[in-house]
Amino acid sequence: MNSTKRLQVFLLITALLVSPNICRADITVALSKGFVNKVKDKATITTKFNIDKHHNSPNPIGGGSDDGDIHIAGRDNVVKLPMVAEIINGAKETSAMQFLLDSTAGDEVPLVGVWRLWFEHPGSEDQVQGGKVGVPKNTNPDHIFEFHPVVRFGDFDVLNSFGPIENEEAEFRGYSAEKAFGTYEKRPGTITKSKTAIMITSNKAGFNYAEFQMRLAGKPKDVGDGYMVFANVYNADAKKNDDPVVEEARRMVFVKGSKPADAVKDLKKGDKLHVLGIPRVNLNMVFAIADGLKADEEYSESLPYEMIIVAILKD
Amino acid sequence: MGLFNSTILEVVIGLVFVYLLLSIMCTAANEWVAALTRRRGETLRRGLAQLLSGQPIQGAEAPDALIRAFYDHPLISSMIHDKNHPTYLSPRNFSATLTDIITGEQQGRMAFAHVLEGVNALPEGEVKRSLLALLRRSDEDLDKARLAIEGWFNDAMDRVSGWYKRRTQVWTIVLAAVLTLVANADTIQITRKLWTDPVLRSAVVEEAKARAQKPRPTVSVEYENEDDPTNPTVTRNEGNQVSDKERQVLGQLIGWHSDWRQTWSWLTPLGWLLTILAISMGAPFWFDMLNKVMNVRFAGKSPDERAKTPEKTESTVRA
Repeated sequence: MNSTKRLQVFLLITALLVSPNICRADITVALSKGFVNKVKDKATITTKFNIDKHHNSPNPIGGGSDDGDIHIAGRDNVVKLPMVAEIINGAKETSAMQFLLDSTAGDEVPLVGVWRLWFEHPGSEDQVQGGKVGVPKNTNPDHIFEFHPVVRFGDFDVLNSFGPIENEEAEFRGYSAEKAFGTYEKRPGTITKSKTAIMITSNKAGFNYAEFQMRLAGKPKDVGDGYMVFANVYNADAKKNDDPVVEEARRMVFVKGSKPADAVKDLKKGDKLHVLGIPRVNLNMVFAIADGLKADEEYSESLPYEMIIVAILKD
Repeated sequence: MGLFNSTILEVVIGLVFVYLLLSIMCTAANEWVAALTRRRGETLRRGLAQLLSGQPIQGAEAPDALIRAFYDHPLISSMIHDKNHPTYLSPRNFSATLTDIITGEQQGRMAFAHVLEGVNALPEGEVKRSLLALLRRSDEDLDKARLAIEGWFNDAMDRVSGWYKRRTQVWTIVLAAVLTLVANADTIQITRKLWTDPVLRSAVVEEAKARAQKPRPTVSVEYENEDDPTNPTVTRNEGNQVSDKERQVLGQLIGWHSDWRQTWSWLTPLGWLLTILAISMGAPFWFDMLNKVMNVRFAGKSPDERAKTPEKTESTVRA
């Protein structure tokens, strides 16, 4: 081995050993089958939430992670996984914010929130539903499951937070449809099952918010706590004859009582909306895939997802 | 010929494959040691002792009277089989047992006043002070008192989880070191063998290819009731097993020579250290890495090789 080759090998070994810091490791979340079946076609979950750590003021509004959210880290008695609840447009929800500031660590409050399973902050350890959930050490601990957006916090209805994220100085905009959906479509996903559980494996995801135009592929379906509808995804400024950015229609989730839900409920096939949305794993598809697997089989392709619509935007 | 699709890439595949197999062995050894030392149960016992010891109860002045009464209570004793400490205790069971011991002979429906009376009647001790502090914050509400006691237990269990995690991490490093030394798994020596022996390298790459087709070493979970996600039983899947063929290939890369001086050099300790570091990263990491490196190799195949491969693979459903 000459000295150049030796150096190359040495550098490769070094790269391999420091790679945990630069590679995205896969993380598995295990959920009970009954739980998946129960929430797969629901927009929200109603639970009791233990407040452990919270922001004292909402995130600023601007670009990137300056999304105006209030983060509350805690534990809940339904999902039983490391958990964060996020109220969007935090600055507008002054009563809920004051209630949060008056709370003390360990307080348990009733909470309704859109469930969101997404590998945005997966950390480095597998997460098992019903396993031990430690007290979070900060407002954004490693978590795969979250309530985002929150719909009701304590006695406070925060449905008005479902709107453009803006203040007098700035407006938060999501990533373009092309950029965001390009990555959502390619998210790796592995699904396995046992007799009573479904295991989903993926790695850290980015591009949290997407701004896009959705054109309905059918009529919205009332699912009790919301509406769900399949829609084709276009860039926000797409013209009539432009191609969609995703080949197939994707499921869109609306929370009943929110402005986006009011806007969509009476629409019909072909109608369009300019929206801001965040992705979550489509547990309906996960459940169907797991149901079709034989024991010890594994599905390994892209991670099925759907979009939670948090705001209707002006054209 | 570029870096990718070269000897170097195959050496890297071989190294990653070796690290993966050693990590799987280390995980298995760690689980074996954990079962042997009853690590989980013992850590919980330590946590409970820290929480409840130093407290006498009425009619029993010994400092360990409360914890003895706790273990003698039917709700807890029913969980102890063959003197093995339970590995899990729910906050609800903890709070029910403790309040039952404190309220003693109290008949009928339990009220906040009964609990307060029971705690006040306890001889002086750390637990009494803690419980009184919790009860003062409960607005004379039994449910709030129960939740406060459960919260106190949960906080203690968070510490227990921290101990358990740290002990597991320490054991991982110890076992990685033992495995590395016993097997003489010297990264530098392995690299040298892979580099200089094309037949061996080719055999290792073939095995690595087969390994990449196996399921990722990961957890499988079962619940007693699929509608109730509590008390999960976590097991490891077949991706966590090393086959005989893999062991055979591994045997050609690691191990002690009858004349150990033949393989020893001043770089050997560094080679061991690199292996220990690699093993401690865990099997899932090296499995993902193996797939990534295999994909790089696949992307760099010669046109002849590529022609043999279907252009688009169907969704991968692996048995």
